[in-house]
Amino acid sequence: MTASAEPVRAHRRARTGAIVQAALPFVLLLLLWQGLVAGLQVSPLVFPSLSAVVRAAGQGLRDGSLFLHLGASLARVAIGTAIALLLAVPLGMAMGVSRAVAAFFTPLLRFFSVLAGIAWIPIATLWFGYGFGAIVFVIFNAVFFVVAYNTLLGVATIPVELRRAAASLGARRWSMVREVLLPGALPNIVTGIRTGLGFAWRALIAAEMIATSTGLGYMLFLARDFYRTEVIVLGMVLVGCTWLALDRLLLAPLERRTIERWGVVRGA
Amino acid sequence: MKELLVERLSKIYFDPDRGERIAALEEVSLRIAPGEFVAVVGPSGCGKSTLLNLIAGFLEPTSGRILLDGRPVRGPGPDRGVVFQSYALFPWKTVLENVAFGPRMRGLPKAECHAKAMRYLELVGLAHVAHRYPRELSGGMQQRVGVVRALANEPEILLMDEPFAAVDAQTRMTLQEELARIYEERRPTILFVTHDVNEAVFLADRVLLLSKGRLREEIPVPIARPRRWPRLVEDDDFKALVARTLSAVRAA
Ligand SMILES: Nc1ncnc2c1ncn2[C@@H]1O[C@H](COP(=O)(O)OP(=O)(O)O)[C@@H](O)[C@H]1O
Ligand SMILES: [Mg+2]
Repeated sequence: MTASAEPVRAHRRARTGAIVQAALPFVLLLLLWQGLVAGLQVSPLVFPSLSAVVRAAGQGLRDGSLFLHLGASLARVAIGTAIALLLAVPLGMAMGVSRAVAAFFTPLLRFFSVLAGIAWIPIATLWFGYGFGAIVFVIFNAVFFVVAYNTLLGVATIPVELRRAAASLGARRWSMVREVLLPGALPNIVTGIRTGLGFAWRALIAAEMIATSTGLGYMLFLARDFYRTEVIVLGMVLVGCTWLALDRLLLAPLERRTIERWGVVRGA
Repeated sequence: MKELLVERLSKIYFDPDRGERIAALEEVSLRIAPGEFVAVVGPSGCGKSTLLNLIAGFLEPTSGRILLDGRPVRGPGPDRGVVFQSYALFPWKTVLENVAFGPRMRGLPKAECHAKAMRYLELVGLAHVAHRYPRELSGGMQQRVGVVRALANEPEILLMDEPFAAVDAQTRMTLQEELARIYEERRPTILFVTHDVNEAVFLADRVLLLSKGRLREEIPVPIARPRRWPRLVEDDDFKALVARTLSAVRAA
């Protein structure tokens, strides 16, 4: 054993330990579930057995319906988020540059951030009908206000010396945005995206129950009509797992890296 | 290189919390000739940063004028290079990109900017860290970058606000000697603000004494260059000038 292998091993051991610790409660929950449903002879109309859910998952994988619903949900989130970012970041930047723009929009942003997502569903279905447009609009709303607000926050936290340094090196308005404000605000922007997507994901499931014919939310809601509790529970597990995967494997690492790479180290 | 003229400059802040007006600078006039090194000393809160920030164009004067080469100063611009106490390096840019920033803003081709930045980094012996990020450098090295970033943009005047106050005493003396060397080689025009009398006398041709927002006294420093610490700590003229300046600061 070499000396340099030791820290790597210790690191791996710590990682494995963390994974075991995170998984353990779920394993116990599954055992409890299986035990209770079998022991109390719970009717499948009230709550499914673990094995029924696993069978439903197998069925969904074979006929492709799981991929259809999951894919539909993810595509809506991606499109709604993309549109929101394209508009929110420039607005946040404009607010960071101009005090007047910031003063005008800040109260509006605060108000609409509270409405995040779900409250927009009724009006969205009136405007866009029951389908793609309404859901993308709901996602857009969940992400837009949070990201715009965080962009503004990010610009505000850039030390004034950095702006002054850039200005006295000859940076005009556009260079200031591109070279200082955008990179300086990036950690906050990514945090905003992560928070906004959290809202968006919850809002998406709610919206899909009402306003569409595909997606995880729809899958849940449709199963209820047929008393298919195993499909309902499968859908719930998928909603949770998909978000955890998205957050842990994509958003959290992205946020960490942005902060490491772009974060302003305060106090020299 | 152009002359800097400050005429009856005043700055009154309004503190909305206490509802008070603070006269940070009152009727300050000064002239800095091309190639001259002028230091402004005074205790903390006497208005040094205010004076520098007005000249840099970061603040608007309440009254008075600032002329560079006869033209009034309006807002910050590349004709006045600034070195900050907090270094103010862009943390998301490498050392090289930081130094190349000014030339790039002037629209020079990238390769040319980088070549120029490299030459300036060599001037302070930092070419080997060109591709590192500022946070990987010690405070002293960061401020060397801060100084050459301002120099690489070839400003008419260099404005320095207590640039060496945040580093340890040993590094500070090295940085002071390096700045003296750069000045002796290139003769840029420098306005240097500090609360450290030793530093002011060591570096400058002329020391201006600022107290409670007013210029009180002007002390010429007729000490030969090159100036290096081992010689000056033994030098009776230097010691006498420091003593005289110190007592003037205390009396003001
Ligand atoms: N933005 C501001 N608003 C109100 N008062 C200020 C502001 N900036 C500085 N002052 C006050 O003006 C005076 C001079 O400050 P400053 O120029 O920073 O002094 P120095 O750099 O010599 O320490 C101090 O009394 C300080 O409290
Ligand atoms: Mg100061």
